[in-house]
Amino acid sequence: MFGKILIANRGEIALRIHRACQEMGIRTVAVHSTADATAMHVRLADESVCIGPPAPRDSYLNVAAILSAATITGADAIHPGYGFLAENARFAEMVEAHGFAFIGPSPEHIRMMGDKIAAKAAMRRLGVPLVPGSEGAVATLDEARSVAAEVGYPVLIKAAAGGGGRGMKVARSEAELEEAFRVARAEAKAAFGDDSVYVEKFLDRPRHIELQVLADTYGNVVHFGERDCSLQRRHQKLVEEAGSPVLTTAARDALGAQVTKALAALGYRNAGTLEFLWQDGHFAFIEMNTRLQVEHPVTEMVCGVDLVREQIRIAAGDRLGYSQSDIRFQGHAIECRITAEDPETFAPSPGRVSMYHAPGGPGVRVDSALYSGYAVPPYYDNLVAKLVVHAGTRAEAIARMRRALAEMVVDGIRTTLPLHQRIVEDPEFQAGDYTIHWLERFVARGGRDARAA
Amino acid sequence: MTDGIRFDPAQIRELARILRDTDLSEIELVEKDSRIRVVRQVTVAPVAGATTVSVPAPPPAAPQPVAATATPEPAEAALPPGTVTSPMVGIVYLAPEPGAPPFVQVGAKVAQGQTLLLIEAMKTFNQIKAPKAGTVTRILVENGAPVEYGEPLMVIE
Repeated sequence: MFGKILIANRGEIALRIHRACQEMGIRTVAVHSTADATAMHVRLADESVCIGPPAPRDSYLNVAAILSAATITGADAIHPGYGFLAENARFAEMVEAHGFAFIGPSPEHIRMMGDKIAAKAAMRRLGVPLVPGSEGAVATLDEARSVAAEVGYPVLIKAAAGGGGRGMKVARSEAELEEAFRVARAEAKAAFGDDSVYVEKFLDRPRHIELQVLADTYGNVVHFGERDCSLQRRHQKLVEEAGSPVLTTAARDALGAQVTKALAALGYRNAGTLEFLWQDGHFAFIEMNTRLQVEHPVTEMVCGVDLVREQIRIAAGDRLGYSQSDIRFQGHAIECRITAEDPETFAPSPGRVSMYHAPGGPGVRVDSALYSGYAVPPYYDNLVAKLVVHAGTRAEAIARMRRALAEMVVDGIRTTLPLHQRIVEDPEFQAGDYTIHWLERFVARGGRDARAA
Repeated sequence: MTDGIRFDPAQIRELARILRDTDLSEIELVEKDSRIRVVRQVTVAPVAGATTVSVPAPPPAAPQPVAATATPEPAEAALPPGTVTSPMVGIVYLAPEPGAPPFVQVGAKVAQGQTLLLIEAMKTFNQIKAPKAGTVTRILVENGAPVEYGEPLMVIE
């Protein structure tokens, strides 16, 4: 087992990784920018190394500084968290080349899933259901037109180098196709340096349902069920649930079996999440994230697993030690992502948190690096806390979330706490009746009940 | 050599009262070598040699966002002017190679751009140069020591 792990991240996930290491008796090294010198995980870590000024490019994305810090502290392994360098295949390669273990999948699979066309091609070969569309990149408008005619309008033109909702244009009819195609390519070139695009059928009212998987280096692959992450605004998730209100056990088991078989064939290792659009009972693979996800706590609560611990164990060469039949799903979990934004305008609100009070009680978990007096820096993403609840049923979990949100205090900055309070009161949310468009419509009507609008 | 910061509580109370009674958000009083600054509910970066007191604003009716434009650097003992800090993470070497005399010693006069020490990172040796001409008054790191970004290395006055 590793003696020392360097945490190449910040904020709540760095604290999460530190906590898992502490519980395993593994020493931690926190690398941080000057803006994060007072961060909670830096204060708690066994060692800390300042790696640069605030800008991510000079600090959390500074590969040389991170590797140098690992060298001078004698770290055995590096955990990349999520975002930053977590899905950077080159970084993973360099970590391994320098003799450190990279706590995550192989560079080859990071690279494969980072190219959205290659990812789909791999999934197609492995029998995972896809969104109908082109088999690879479409180089010409004519190709795009013929694919669109085959799958039917409306269609989406997507950047191969995109992902996470970026680099997509809709064409609702053949008349709109030419402009969508040209604009998508130009934007892809500008944003990602690669104008390769592919075509997919546009699903008009899907849910976003993703599957958590874990694989060791001995060919054992398991899944930990699904998360419904349909509540999104501008492709950013706000609320996630485990399990999905619409999935039956049979549907979960069937998808899980298909996916674990595919990943075993691929030789995948460590944690990963496959994202699907689900509509009318059908799953369609859109992309795979080769890292731990922000919303992993809801899965942990329902399955009674510590995914970060499992990641570390796998990276250290341990066998999973359990099989799919050992994994049980108990109750229901919901997570609200609390961000430092105005709850109505979403204007960023960094600044000093004058008073922080986390909710508690049965079935309540808060993953946050906040503390009273902490100054939220303006340089990084605005997630400041994840409020997670777990209960026996979905209705009980909603009641618990309502209770916990009311107890939570974050003063001194604006946060989306009031927005989450309105969401959990909404009858459609309570009925589980929502798609990926629901939240934007909810926000557009001022966060009010649809019947009252 | 410090002789404790002297301040008059009555003076501070008076300043705080003036702050409350007016629309001012900050009052600073400077005399000789003492300075008092009284500030209303903004982030405060303590400055060495000054006494700073925060006056809590009356409880606002609506939450007042603190418009901090930049997070102040954590309070630390002020570095002497002329401190050269590390621009990178790595290992310090005070001499060009083992056994050779060090680049500089305390008391040495250096020209701007003169190499003071090396920092090795990822098997490359980076020369750290004097930002301005002066005299090396303090060397704050040992040969072979690991350093982080921003760590004080030497003082050149």
